[in-house]
Amino acid sequence: MTGLALIVALLVTGARLVYLQHQQAPQLQQRAEAQQRAQLRPFIPRRSILDRHSIAKQQAELLAVDRPVYTLWAHPRLFGKRTPEEMATALAPLLRRPVEQLTQRLSANHAVRVERWVSQDVADQIQALHLDGLELVSERQRIYPQKEMAAEVVGYVDLDHQGQAGVEYSRQELLERTVQPVTIPRDGYGRLLAAEVPEGLLQSGETVLQLTLDMRLQRAARAALKAQLQRFRALRGTVIILQPHTGEILALVSEPTYDPNRYFEYDPGLFRNWAVTDLYEPGSTFKPINIAIGLDAGAFRADERVYDEGRILIGRWPIQNYDYHQRGAHGWMSVTDILRQSSNVGMVHLMRKLDPRQYYNALVRLGFNERSGVDLPFEPASRLKPLRQFVTVPVERATVAFGQGLALTPLQLAAMHCIIANGGLKVQPHVVRGLVEKDTDTLVWGSPQPQPVRVLSEQATLAVRIQMRDVVDFGTGQSAKIEGYEIAGKTGTAQKVGPRGGYLPGKRTTSFVGYFPAIRPNYVILAVIDEPQGEDAFGSTTAAPVVRSVIQEIITLEGIRPNST
Amino acid sequence: MLGNADPKVSSQTNWKKLLRQILAPWRDFDGILLATVLALTGIGIIAIRSAVWERPISHYWIQQLVMAGISLVFLGVVARIPYERLLRRHWFTYFLTLAGLIAVLFFGTAGGGAERWLSIAGFQVQPSEFAKLGVIITLAALLHHWPIKYFSQIWVAVAVVAPPWILIFLQPNLGTALVFVVIVLVMLYWAGAKGSWILLLLSPGVGAILYGLHTRPELSWMLWIWLLWCLGMAGLAAWRLPWQWTGAVTFGVINLLSGQLGQLAWHLLKPYQRRRLEIFIDPMQEPWGSGYHLIQSRIAIGAGGLWGRGIQQGTQTQLDFIPEQHTDFIFSAIGEEMGFIGTLTVLILFWILCARLIWIAQGAKDNFGSLITIGVLAMILFQAVVNIGMTIGLAPITGLPLPFLSYGRSALLTNFLAIGLVESVVMHRQRTTFFT
Repeated sequence: MTGLALIVALLVTGARLVYLQHQQAPQLQQRAEAQQRAQLRPFIPRRSILDRHSIAKQQAELLAVDRPVYTLWAHPRLFGKRTPEEMATALAPLLRRPVEQLTQRLSANHAVRVERWVSQDVADQIQALHLDGLELVSERQRIYPQKEMAAEVVGYVDLDHQGQAGVEYSRQELLERTVQPVTIPRDGYGRLLAAEVPEGLLQSGETVLQLTLDMRLQRAARAALKAQLQRFRALRGTVIILQPHTGEILALVSEPTYDPNRYFEYDPGLFRNWAVTDLYEPGSTFKPINIAIGLDAGAFRADERVYDEGRILIGRWPIQNYDYHQRGAHGWMSVTDILRQSSNVGMVHLMRKLDPRQYYNALVRLGFNERSGVDLPFEPASRLKPLRQFVTVPVERATVAFGQGLALTPLQLAAMHCIIANGGLKVQPHVVRGLVEKDTDTLVWGSPQPQPVRVLSEQATLAVRIQMRDVVDFGTGQSAKIEGYEIAGKTGTAQKVGPRGGYLPGKRTTSFVGYFPAIRPNYVILAVIDEPQGEDAFGSTTAAPVVRSVIQEIITLEGIRPNST
Repeated sequence: MLGNADPKVSSQTNWKKLLRQILAPWRDFDGILLATVLALTGIGIIAIRSAVWERPISHYWIQQLVMAGISLVFLGVVARIPYERLLRRHWFTYFLTLAGLIAVLFFGTAGGGAERWLSIAGFQVQPSEFAKLGVIITLAALLHHWPIKYFSQIWVAVAVVAPPWILIFLQPNLGTALVFVVIVLVMLYWAGAKGSWILLLLSPGVGAILYGLHTRPELSWMLWIWLLWCLGMAGLAAWRLPWQWTGAVTFGVINLLSGQLGQLAWHLLKPYQRRRLEIFIDPMQEPWGSGYHLIQSRIAIGAGGLWGRGIQQGTQTQLDFIPEQHTDFIFSAIGEEMGFIGTLTVLILFWILCARLIWIAQGAKDNFGSLITIGVLAMILFQAVVNIGMTIGLAPITGLPLPFLSYGRSALLTNFLAIGLVESVVMHRQRTTFFT
């Protein structure tokens, strides 16, 4: 009988071993491997974003920074001997929450999220309590110390720390240091086996993303724009300040905007920076570019004179000056006069002197039908009518002459003005300077920029700059004038195109583009105000004062003396 | 040239002669038994070495190896001493066992939960391990003098075993207490107790479990099974015991009382002991608590597959996923690193060992020798079955080590001494086989 029992025991045990080591072996092997590997997403903060100033000297302004935060989870089943009340009493002072409320939460019989966004030092204090059944899951929180001040450039990250707008989106790969979580072997106590951690994983280089923005200008521009928007109860507005020789964006303001720290409270439409994403018809601010093209092509001279009838018919289409009803015909006008008084008819006559095909090619060479290449997301290509239509339909050409019938973004317009301002070189607007070492200001990686291409002659652009200086000194741009300083500029008041084509009555987009200093500009400033209300809402009244304020700020910041330019 | 060769040959033969002379007293030694034991111990040492490798405590396997050597010497010495001498000294053995257990209760230091240790001259000793052997000897002597002929004789044996059993239960060492019960029952059976008597002896325990189960809401129907069981036991007593009515009523009442007594005993159990029993039923109840051991062990054995992952290659073992992998869970380390081949080898070795013990028990010259052998068999077999059963998920966690394989010096010495005793039984039997 004992022998029989022995055989039975052997058979049962053997059968079980066959089951475990043969039948279930693959599954159990998988389970073993699964529990021996830990997915590790190390806390390597997303790179900080700063403006253009020296970081080593601590002059730069912080635009975005990561900070470690923790989510506190409780597993009431693992509290051990402690009751939920005891746990709540211990946690309440640290979390600054009433004991009763915590007790209620902690009394659940499943895992509960007690608190989100627990700061590092509170987390340390919770850890020091040595309570069983609590879990602190490390997360990251993106802080935007400047709040809405640079939101349209910087953008924001969502809950998963993914960039959703601005540089956070377009330069995701530069900001995120390790994208791939790694799996690392761990032992039965949950300890990671350090020998197999890939080298460099836990190091985080002290490089930051530096922008070309100058936050001082950004603030000044926003303040000036906000004031004008309010005054004219306008829909929206933008101010763009570019360095014309490099294409660096010194300021890019769009109003209204949002606070990226609390992006979820805002209308998602605001996350799109319309200065970069929306096409519009620039109107008169485009006239200097046309003149530069004509001068460059030799179609007319800078002292050319044309007769302005005040109103002409191109085919069936009448074209008139904005002041036709007050002034009628302007008479014989020089190129400067045309700009100064923003004569549409004059522009049409001037541009007729240029071969349509040559005209079209020049526009394309300046950047039409293309993106400017700015490192901000969702930029569309600017739009021109097709070549055939442009050449064969005279009215198409005529409208382009005074800046209608073509569409580009405010930023693309500002970039084209850089060509005039810098003497004829096409530069790419950009907002990212590169990766910079925090302690030394060394540029570790510079945002690659194309070699500037000459698209207009130096003389042609110089002539236009001089004419634009006269616009501010004696013409429509006088509201941008600052005594003792030379400023070049051009106003613009364009009719708005409705969603189904055709111009919307009474709706306009007013703008002003300014160069400072006028002849050798270091700044190109474009202000656009969309749908200003009121009878006196023109480029000269709405946008020019914004540019003027910005230039005043530049003068103050750089300590430029009067009459020195 | 030739003259030089001769002394060489003769010196070789001299050596052989000398060796034969030295080994002469062990001429009748059972080689198969010893070989099996040494093979098991060897596998154990390899597994221990692999399980706690490159750790500050990697000297475990050396300790086990040294202890195996010492134990082998003891085995040899014990085998030479005629075991009958113990017959006269069994009360001495008994009181030595009791003294050890009492001492550990008062001066012992607690180990990992259940075990208790006594420091003697710098050595950590576990008296409960030696107590098993002490009880086997005492009971064998007792049953040798008074073979079981009547049911009432069982009570004598029970009375003698009760004091050390209670002392071990109080430690509390649930596993060893269980080993005691099995040893006593098997030896009683071997000494002539009928199967039905043993069943009756066990019946209150079964009754208590059935009654205990019915307190769970989903198992309330168990109450009827329990009542049936009580009736059945009363009937069995009436049928098999001499005094029909008295027996029937006594066992009926004992079983009925067992329900309440069992509940009482259940609450006397330490919470961790209760937990161990509960977790056995459903290890997933607590995947990170006690059930963790069972789950991890099962994963490790399964991960070994047919050929195993190789010595020191088992990731479950090497990365400390299996707790107590050099002691209670050595079998899962073997399962992972040596695979089905390894575990089957261990099983077959245990089977050979047990078969050999039964064979020796049947051929012993007297009841004392036969009973000792059967006691040793019960001790080794039960521990092996429960331990292996635990690692493969067929038995609860009892904290019983795997004989010869688990790290544990007291246990190793006890088991070797037990095999020494059995060898003594083999060596000192009359050679009846030659003449009949």
